[in-house]
Amino acid sequence: MRKKELVKDNPLVDVAAYLFLEDIADKQGAAGMNTYLMSLAAALARSMPEEEYDSWDSFVEALKNGDSALSTFEDVEMPTKHCVVTTESPFLRGWQEYTKRIGNFASIHYEVAEYYNSMVKPGAIDSQDIIIQTYRSEMAKRIRVEGKQLRVAHIATVAPDGTKKVAPEEWLPILLEKAGITQTMLNMIMRNNASVWIVYTE
Amino acid sequence: MLDVALVSLIQDMSEKAGVEGTIQYWLRVGENLARRMGKEAYMGWPSFNVALREGRTAFSIEGEVTALTDLAITDVDGDVVGYIYALRECVFNPTITRIRYSVGEVPEADRLVAEEYNNSIQDTAVCNFCVIHQKFREEVAKNITVAGQQLECLQLADRGFTGETKIASDSLKKIGINEEYVRSLLRNYACVYAIIMHGARLRGEEEEA
Repeated sequence: MRKKELVKDNPLVDVAAYLFLEDIADKQGAAGMNTYLMSLAAALARSMPEEEYDSWDSFVEALKNGDSALSTFEDVEMPTKHCVVTTESPFLRGWQEYTKRIGNFASIHYEVAEYYNSMVKPGAIDSQDIIIQTYRSEMAKRIRVEGKQLRVAHIATVAPDGTKKVAPEEWLPILLEKAGITQTMLNMIMRNNASVWIVYTE
Repeated sequence: MLDVALVSLIQDMSEKAGVEGTIQYWLRVGENLARRMGKEAYMGWPSFNVALREGRTAFSIEGEVTALTDLAITDVDGDVVGYIYALRECVFNPTITRIRYSVGEVPEADRLVAEEYNNSIQDTAVCNFCVIHQKFREEVAKNITVAGQQLECLQLADRGFTGETKIASDSLKKIGINEEYVRSLLRNYACVYAIIMHGARLRGEEEEA
């Protein structure tokens, strides 16, 4: 199965899922929706088989090829051995179909991200970021490289409308150092990609 | 990704809220989706069918829909009151494929939700997602008028990922279409439905009465 075929999604299913989440938010507000999004992503990660790699290089190869569950839903490139760039949001088609068929992306999707940024960790623009970032973090817990548990940290995300969100200034130098890229390189990457994150082990 | 995540949650939802609860959730999602897409009005069937072909109607969100214009549905006076439409690919197929190659297998709740829907609402579901999009179509039809008349959608037949088929015999009788003919359509299409003018005096109904 070619990876591209896996990434392709059905717009009706995605749009219906957004409305399902909005329905939850109507009843439980941003806090309830945030809990739901995080448990949705965690449940998905839990349903994936665990992974182990003998070497960092074999893990990087699996990640780049989409063989790892960490990149099953995304097209990724790796400018360095620890920096991962998602070229296109896995939610893009659903978001485009939503905005085409329904209208503006409902404000609750942004409100819930503000809640997530203040209560969990700063780094989300909308509900989609909560799902993908939680999924990556939870999935990383199920992957071991050279006997050590994998860790994930998020540097920046770019929404389908071009809105950017970068990690807080005080965290950025450390994250960039781990990624092996400079601030200028980050800006260059963000111009035409969806998100920048790092993978590492302690 | 969202679709696969949602499916991974069906099992959990069904264990907590029961399969009946999941069905109620899905029906509401189908209703909400149709409501949010707004109303449409067409001068006549040709303009509706062109809009459908060009992907401009709410029905088009499901994917490639073909208007089978050789299968016009007529009323007791012989006037055209609707057509049969066919969806090339089941909306759930890409998700099932993605689940197969990412998670491994579709959760058991998918089948249980479909079975419960077939027993309690109408015997037309081949997977849990039929609940959402069959309801969606019913509600979308209510938001569309052709020549000033509100539409109605009848589910006729569908084919699931593993080849299982469902044929709605009562609806076929109502519109006077042969069951075997619709079955043959499933060789090339995943889902077949009729869109008719609401309240039309159909031949099949009159004959039955």
